[in-house]
Formats: sequence, structure tokens, C-alpha cells
Amino acid sequence: MNIYELTQEYEIYLRDESRSIGHAASISFPENEAEMREIIMQMNAGGTPVTIQGGRTGLAAGAVPYGGHVMNLSKMDQLLDVTAEDGRYSFTVRPGMVLANLRKIIAGRKIDPEKMRSGPDAALAFINDREYFFPTDPTETSATIGGIAACNASGARSYKFGAARNHITRIRMILADGRIADIRRGEVFASGRRLVLPLTDGSSISAEIPSYQMPACKNASGYYARHDMDAVDLLIGSDGTLGAISEIGIELLPLPAYIWGVSCFLQDEDRAVRLTNALRDGFRNLAAIEYFDKGALDILREQKRKNTAFSALPALKKEYSCCIYAEIQEEDESAALQTLLQIGKCLTACGGREEDTWVARSDTDRETQQFFRHAVPESVNMLIDERKKTDPSITKLAGDMAVPDEHLAEVMHMYRETLAAAGLQSAVWGHMGNNHLHVNILPRDSRDYSLGKQLIAGWAEKVTAMGGAVSAEHGVGKLKRDFLAIMYGSARIEEMAALKKAFDPKGIFGRGNLFAAEVMVPSAGREAVPAGERETEAAE
Amino acid sequence: MKIVVCVKAVPSSTEVRFDPVSHTIIRDGKQAVINPFDAAALECALRIRETAGAHVTTLSMGIPDTVRILRDTVARGADEAVLLSDRAFAGSDTLATSYALACAVRKTGVPDLLICGKMAVDGDTAQIGPELAAALGIPAVTNVKEILSVGEDRIGVIRESDDGEQEVSVCLPALITVVKSIVDPRMPSIAGIRAAEAAAVSVWTAEEIGADPERTGLAGSATQVVRTFSPERKKECVYIEGSAVEQADRLRALVEELS
Amino acid sequence: MSGIIIDHEKCILCRKCLRACPVSALEMANGRICVKDLCNLCTMCVDACPKGAISLAAAEAAYDDRSSGIWLYAQVSESGLCKVSCELVSKAAELAAEAKARSGELCEVTALLPSGDAEMASELISCGADSVLYCDHAYLRTGDPDAAAAWIVSLVQERHPGILLFPATVSGREIAPACAAMLGTGLTADCTSLQVDRESGLLHQTRPAFGGNLMATIVCPGSRPQMATVREGVFPVRRREDPAGSATIEEAPFPGNFLPRRSIRAVLQEAADSYDVTKAEKLVVVGRGIGSKKNLPLMREFADRIGAGLGCSRPLVEAGWCEYSHQVGQTGHSVAPKLLISIGVSGAIQHLAGIAGAEKIIAINTDAKAPIFGAADYGIVGDCISVVKDFLTK
Repeated sequence: MNIYELTQEYEIYLRDESRSIGHAASISFPENEAEMREIIMQMNAGGTPVTIQGGRTGLAAGAVPYGGHVMNLSKMDQLLDVTAEDGRYSFTVRPGMVLANLRKIIAGRKIDPEKMRSGPDAALAFINDREYFFPTDPTETSATIGGIAACNASGARSYKFGAARNHITRIRMILADGRIADIRRGEVFASGRRLVLPLTDGSSISAEIPSYQMPACKNASGYYARHDMDAVDLLIGSDGTLGAISEIGIELLPLPAYIWGVSCFLQDEDRAVRLTNALRDGFRNLAAIEYFDKGALDILREQKRKNTAFSALPALKKEYSCCIYAEIQEEDESAALQTLLQIGKCLTACGGREEDTWVARSDTDRETQQFFRHAVPESVNMLIDERKKTDPSITKLAGDMAVPDEHLAEVMHMYRETLAAAGLQSAVWGHMGNNHLHVNILPRDSRDYSLGKQLIAGWAEKVTAMGGAVSAEHGVGKLKRDFLAIMYGSARIEEMAALKKAFDPKGIFGRGNLFAAEVMVPSAGREAVPAGERETEAAE
Repeated sequence: MKIVVCVKAVPSSTEVRFDPVSHTIIRDGKQAVINPFDAAALECALRIRETAGAHVTTLSMGIPDTVRILRDTVARGADEAVLLSDRAFAGSDTLATSYALACAVRKTGVPDLLICGKMAVDGDTAQIGPELAAALGIPAVTNVKEILSVGEDRIGVIRESDDGEQEVSVCLPALITVVKSIVDPRMPSIAGIRAAEAAAVSVWTAEEIGADPERTGLAGSATQVVRTFSPERKKECVYIEGSAVEQADRLRALVEELS
Repeated sequence: MSGIIIDHEKCILCRKCLRACPVSALEMANGRICVKDLCNLCTMCVDACPKGAISLAAAEAAYDDRSSGIWLYAQVSESGLCKVSCELVSKAAELAAEAKARSGELCEVTALLPSGDAEMASELISCGADSVLYCDHAYLRTGDPDAAAAWIVSLVQERHPGILLFPATVSGREIAPACAAMLGTGLTADCTSLQVDRESGLLHQTRPAFGGNLMATIVCPGSRPQMATVREGVFPVRRREDPAGSATIEEAPFPGNFLPRRSIRAVLQEAADSYDVTKAEKLVVVGRGIGSKKNLPLMREFADRIGAGLGCSRPLVEAGWCEYSHQVGQTGHSVAPKLLISIGVSGAIQHLAGIAGAEKIIAINTDAKAPIFGAADYGIVGDCISVVKDFLTK
């Protein structure tokens, strides 16, 4: 068991993709569950905070330490087991397994059947079976499965398949005192809001599920809470605050034989909203409905012109103002073709043209489309990095909010009006099918930056009023906890803290995630948090 | 002007999985795709059509299922597609293939320009282009990386050569083979796919193109495979176990030792 | 019609051939195994059949041979005779010895030298040529492949060589297919091994085939010459031991009826990126396993740290991450460094053929079953990015 002092050499482990920087005294890279457990118990004994890290690809600083110890799980990346039940395959993986690697293992059947925990049979059957896939598809493929489980990640295809929790069948979690919860879906349920969670040593934890009503839309804001809920759903999306995940069971789905991507270019946003509503109403088998606005397309055009890394992007015609991307998944080709031609008619009815579309039916074309879609966030980051050179205080500001279906047009107008009134540059993209847009504000100077921050706080209130979620997929982490307070109110936040306390009495895990450390200890003994850190908010 | 683009259906992936137990190949069941070099060739033809005006025909030889790939070329903008498909063509090597393609090209009337991909990803021979040109008695310019000008009776190109690049101006009719990076192929639109579904792909037999049975398929192939084998594993590999840090330490020692 | 023949008397319907076929060209229909049109004659099924019920249609009766002698095309570049030309002439001399050992008859090696000089001719002779045919003509000097093909075809038709070898250079790969089509004979590209078969006397031409997963040995039984191309670095240069006193140098005239159809102007001498991956004594070769273009600078840093050159596998060049000049492998550059560290390269046959000359190979790959480990002296199964990062942190 090795615990290292967190010297300069380990500096990168103080950061994640949110680009905020924390601080910590020590770091470890455990290689098995026993090591994890030993370190956790040692830290818990001393009351030292433990921040758990996966791929550090989070956008809400959930893996950024606010003091104490960093437990990095990148060395725990093995596939432990393949099982088959009712013709479906499940994988058991360690939390540090990287998504890209999981995909390679699945697609390339890179499995050693002899090494599987429950024997080689299911693995051998899997190797010879049709193709399967793991439907959760966050853009950043260097995310780990542990991180995906901890923040209940989604991705474009969650329009059809839902967020990660729909595909997670089991969580094994080490608690602060070293006891272990090993929960399979469908085995342990709350009774109303009261949960008694059995542990592997025969003991149990009793906890009260917070009393709030979750929004009726895509949501990654705070603990999952519902009457009579499955206990595993509490552990999923708990943002590293309840315990350290040591094993995850995930279920795979058969890969549809035909996956076609369709990018439809339109002349204005109203038509895009109309097309989205029409696609939602008229089609059952679309896996994704995504959106890219004019701000996003203009930045792409600029990067294609300036930057050779983007020169292979397909040319975007001048008149293309925005884009709706839909993904067709079908088992047979004629059904896929019918759907495609129907989408064409739908597009025409919404004021678009069938000529102004890109259809990807081959791997090469799908790669081109994916390159196009991934180039949007990447080129926005490059633009911000460029601006940072003149004003280092600038970061990208972004909303990750979702609303129920009926509020799509309303929320789009709200974004547009407030952005125009503030005179801010923006680029909007994301999961329009789920009424979930990443509204990115691109500040040109520090004045823009503070204006933008106010704007997003205002959105949190309005989105809450529409019955929406302040974080739909990135999780709350440390950067969005003020929005979570707006969404649920301080009384509910204290219920969350009480729940955490039942699992982690000393509050060592994920300190600062979901709510400030102070909430855990309402009276005395607060840990002073330097003022500077509390300032870093909403930097996606 | 008339342009013919030759395309080949290739496996979607050249990576092959082996069953760890039976040591046989596991098929991924994926459909064949257009050779990526040929996709670039088609895009070149479509761009010439946009600037200089042209009629673009795509031509392939293969099993009946290849119609699907030719229909896709129409969806991307080809005006017409022709497939040579006949049991008589099976087993063709590059000599027999280029002979059959030449017969088909003669049947359509030799175009002003033929464009082929530099090579097929599954064969790597890069021979069909120049052999087809020789069979038609027209010049071939290989490895074209840029088209400079397309005139009435000449085409000017930049090609990659052994020691740099050459500017070549060649009389039409001619055949060029293009490198993959010459242009990025466009994607089809819904409108294009709708049109392609309605379009007819001509399927021609050996007899219909007037091919001599002695020169097609296995009978017309000069080369023949006598043996295939997996290359032998020559060395015994010493594996370095341990954590990444330990592996890195051992690697450092090895690099020093072997340097 | 496919050349695969199934003896239904011997077949026990065990279906091993169905599983062995890489292209699903075999099927069960009406209670027997049938071959579909998409068969590419890879012969995997022939080897898989436990009863010997599958065979490949035999070659037609051997060619009535009035052709003899081994020819090769000696390419000349701006800087003189290409190295591959000397390699080819050395190989041709070896083949001539094999042919002579088999038949007892003399077999001459002839080098075709377009637009060369006397010094080049004697260089070819010192590497094993018995005669050199040269032609100093304006069309050949401009590098017009039609002119070269016309000259070669006229000579072949007049003198009937049994074997004709070309370098697998850009130029060789333009001229050789044109000659093959005009002569109506076969051509095998990128051979890694050439041998005169003791039994049949045919040239056994071996090259990676079927997506680089197998090696295939190919013959050209029914037409002459038997033609093949070979890349630079595949065969060694050997100086002849015996004196070449009787070797002849002869001018072979350019055909009179040739009409040039192209004009050629060099616009760039030397590729813009003139990195020579073959020169490095230590070489780091990276492949798709490094995951992302973003990791290239890390690999470059690693190479710099240990004082090595940087090469890459073919997919990286195709993805536009690296220049062709860095490509290692049979379709790139064959290399022979003292130490080669292979990172994230799976090791397709073409790649392995290109690194066969390396003295010691260390391979890092996540996939323990990657073929690269079969060629390596040391193997690290693990995440190459972590290993390299850890290497660099100290």
C-alpha cells in the first residue's frame, strides 16, 4: 500500500476537465479492493477527506480535491467477469476502466475467458455472439466507468436509452468505516423514503431518502430520491459522497444492425425546435436528437479556415444556420431507409430541404460526422484558450440544464433573449431531444465573464420554475452546488447531508460535492474553506 | 466530358479477430464498403463535374450485392452506375479484372477520363489502374494528389513520385489513380438517397460486355495462389509484469542495457 | 467459377471449412458444402479440411517454355542508381543459381538500365548481372512510364525472359502493371520472398495477402515472363564473388513507333518532409494503440529522451497523424535498428515484415494477444500511455 506526498510531480491530479484547481496533501493509486479499503479506513480514522478520482474528465470539479487525500483509481481498470442471463450479457468491471477501452474490449472481444470470475462459458458465448454495445456515450471517451456511475453520465444516445443508471446492474461500494455494500438491481428497495441498506458483513445502514420530488426530465442533480426506490439507484449518481465504488456491473445491449446518422441543416432556430418536436412526436426509434446553433457552426467555420487539424471538416454552406442531428437505429435496412425518407418529409414540412442534409451510413461517414460533432466543443475550448491569453481570469461558462418537453420553445427563447440583452457571445449545442442544451457563454473580457455568471444563476431559477434540472448530465460536483440549492432549497440540502452522514459520519468522501462541507456539520467544527476556492463556479 | 470511376467493394475492416479456442477467424458480419481510395476518386469526378461539367459513371466488378455500393455512389452524386457480375468473373486476378473492366469501358464508349483509387485496402496491389489503362491503350498517371486543370484534351495534375512531386500534363483520354488524401468524400443527402433508390443500376454479364471466356475469371488469370500460411512466430517473448510504474522502471533498465 | 473444388465423396460435413473461411464464401446448401462467388481463393478451407476433400484447381499444364533468363528493371534516380536496383540484381543472381541447380542449364541475369551510364552498368554487374541492356533516349530520361514500358515490352517480345522483376517504387509500380497488361501476363506486388521451386521450376512469389493476416505464395504457371515487384530493403545487396569478365553491356534501341502523351516536370525534389526513418539506430514506433493524436507529443518526448527516431504504423499515416516518411512496415519503410520499441502497434503481417531486421524489439500493448508480441524479445502488456508517462516522470 503506497501513499505518496502530493508533490509537484502529481500536480495534474489536482485538476479535472472543469479546469478548476484544488489542493491535497497525499495521493494513492490502489491496485485492488483490499488496498482501497485499507487506505480508506486509515483516512477515516484520522478524519482526513478522501476525493475519489477516475479519468478526471468531469466538468463540475467532482474529482478536484479540497484538501486531504486523493484516491486515484486509474490502476483498477480490469474486466472481472462476463455473465449471461436471459440472453443478455453483463460485464463486471473495476471503476478505473476507461470507456474507450471498454468499447475496444466489447467490439474486439478482447477477453481472456479463462480469467473470468464465474468461468469461461459466458465469455466464450459472448466472443462468438453478435455485436453488443454499452449505450452510455459521453463525448469524452477517456471517462472511466466509475466516474460514469458516480455522476450518472449520459451522452447523445440517452435520448433513447436513458442515462447510465439504466444500464448499471450492480454497485459494490466501500464505506468510510471499511464496511462494504454490494447491491444488485432489483434486490433491495426503500420502504417509502426509508432505506435499510444491508452490508456484506451482515450489518446494515439506515437512512432517510430526501423528500424532494425529482424533475420530470433528464436529471443529474443531487441524490436520486423516490418512494420505494431501488437502493442501487441511490449509489449511482452519488457524486463520490457516499463511498468508494470498487466494482460495477453493467448490462450490454445488442448493437443494432443499422445505425445511420442524419445531420439536417436549417435556416433558423425556430425551425430546429419545430423539427425536434416533430421528430419526437413522429418517430419511435431515434436514438439521439442533437442540436448545434449558429454560434457553434460559425466557430467551426472559423476553425476550419484557421486550423489545419480541422481542415478535414466537411464544408458548411453559407446558408446553413443551425443543425439537428438525428440517429436512426434499426434492425433491418428497409426499415432504416423508410425512417430516413420519413425524416426527409418531416424536414420539408418544418421548412428545411432534403438536399441540405448529410447522411452517414458507413463507418467512414459516421467518423466524419462524429469528428464534426466533437469539433464543436473542442473548437470552443480553443477559442477560450486563445482569449485566456489576453485575460487569464476568463473561463468558459456553460449551462447544463434540462426542462420537461413542453417547455422547449420557452427555454430556448429565454436563452436567446437574455443572451441578446446582455450582449454576450455564445455557442449552443447538445441534446435538444431531451430539452437539454449546453448553452456556452464565451466571455471576451472580465466584464462579460461576470455578466455571464449572473445570467446562468438567473437561468437556474427560471429552469427550476419550469420544473427542470440545473444539472442534467454533468453532475453537481463542486461547481454547481449553488444551483442545486436554488433547485431544491436549503431544507432539502440538509436532508441530503443527513443521508450522507448515515453513510459517512465524518464526511470524508467527496467533501464539497453536492453541498458545502459546512452543511454536514451545522454547528461547530467547520473546516475553513479558503475564499478563493468558493469563487470558482460554473466553469465547465 | 465523360468520366468513369472504378470502385471496389472491400471488407469494412481489415482487422480480423481470432477465436481464442478454435483459432479460427471470427467474422464480424459487417457489410462490404466502398474502398476509401475509390470514394476519393468519385469525389474528384463530382468536383470536376461541378466546375467543368461532366457525366459521371461508376463501374465495379463483384458479387450481386455490390449493387448496394454502386447505389450509394449514385446517392453521392454519380449519374449512372454499372456492375459487372457473373460467375464467369469469379477468381479473377488483376490481369483478368482489368481485361473485364476494359471490355465494359469499351462497351460504354471510352470516356475522356477514368479515375481509380490508388489501390484497394484489401489487396494493396495498386495494379488495376495502370493495367486497365494499358488494356485500353491510354496513358495512366498514378498517385495523383491534386488536379490542376481539366481541359478539352488534356488534364494537368500533381503526382507523388519517388523523389518528390511531379507536375504532369497528359493527353485525354487518360486514366488517373488518386491518393486518399486528395479530397474528402462528401456524404450523401436524403435527397440523393431518395434519387438513388429510384435509379437503376445496370448489371452486365461477361457475355454482355463481349468478354472472351478464356480471358476472364480463373481461366483468364495468369497468377494463382498455391499456398497460404500464417507467418511463424520466431521469437520467444519475455514478458515484463507488474504495475505501470514497475514496467516503466524495467523498461528504463532495458533501454540502457540494449542501447 | 471459383477454383476451389470440393470432393463430396470425401466430405464428412464437419463444417470446419465454413468456420475457417474468412469471407463466408462457403455455405451448406442441399446437404452439401458449396462455394459462393465471393470466394477469393485464399485456400484457408483447403488447410482446414481434415479429410483432404477440398483442393484448388490445379495449374494448367506447365508452360511450353522457350523463355529463359532473369531480368530486372534497374531504376535510376536523380542521385544515381537506386539501392533497390542493386538489391534486385543480387536477388536475381540468387534465383539464377537456384534455376541452374535445378535444371543444370545456364540462366543469365540481365539488368535493364534506362538512361544510365557505364559506371551504373558496372555496379549492376558487380552485384551479379551477366548483361546490361541500356538505352539513352530523351523519353526515358524524362521518366515517362509509357516510354519505359514500350522499351521493355519490345525487348521482352524479342528475347523472352522467364522472369522480370521490378522495384516496388512509385515508378516501378506504374511501369510494371502496364508491361504486365501489354504482355498479358501475371504480376505479383510487394513480394517478401522469391524462390525457384525445385519441383516445378516456377517462381514462387510470397507476399502478405488477405488484409495482411496471411502470407500467400503465388505462381504464374501459364504465361511469361513471371513478373514481381519488390520493395527496397527486403533483400540484401550481395557482391558477386566470381570475376565478371564475360559480362556484356549492350545498347538496346528505343522502339521507333512511340508517341509521347504526357509532359512531366519535377516540381518538388525530395519529399517536403525528408525524415529518414531507416537511418535511426534506435527507433520508437507508435501505432493506433496510443489512442489519440493528442498523445503523439508524449511519444516524441519519449523518443527524444532515449535518443531514438520516431516511426509509426500505417493507420497513423492514413489518419493523417504522421507523415508517410515515418511509416514503418512493408507498405512504408523496412527498418533495421539496433533497438526498436513498439508502442501500441498490434503488428499486422505487413508491419512485422517491415521490422524483421530489428536486432531487439520491445513491445508495449494492452492486448496480450497482439501479434507484435510474437515478433518481440520483450513484451509489456499494459496501457502504453501510463507506462510512457511513468517512464518520463523519473
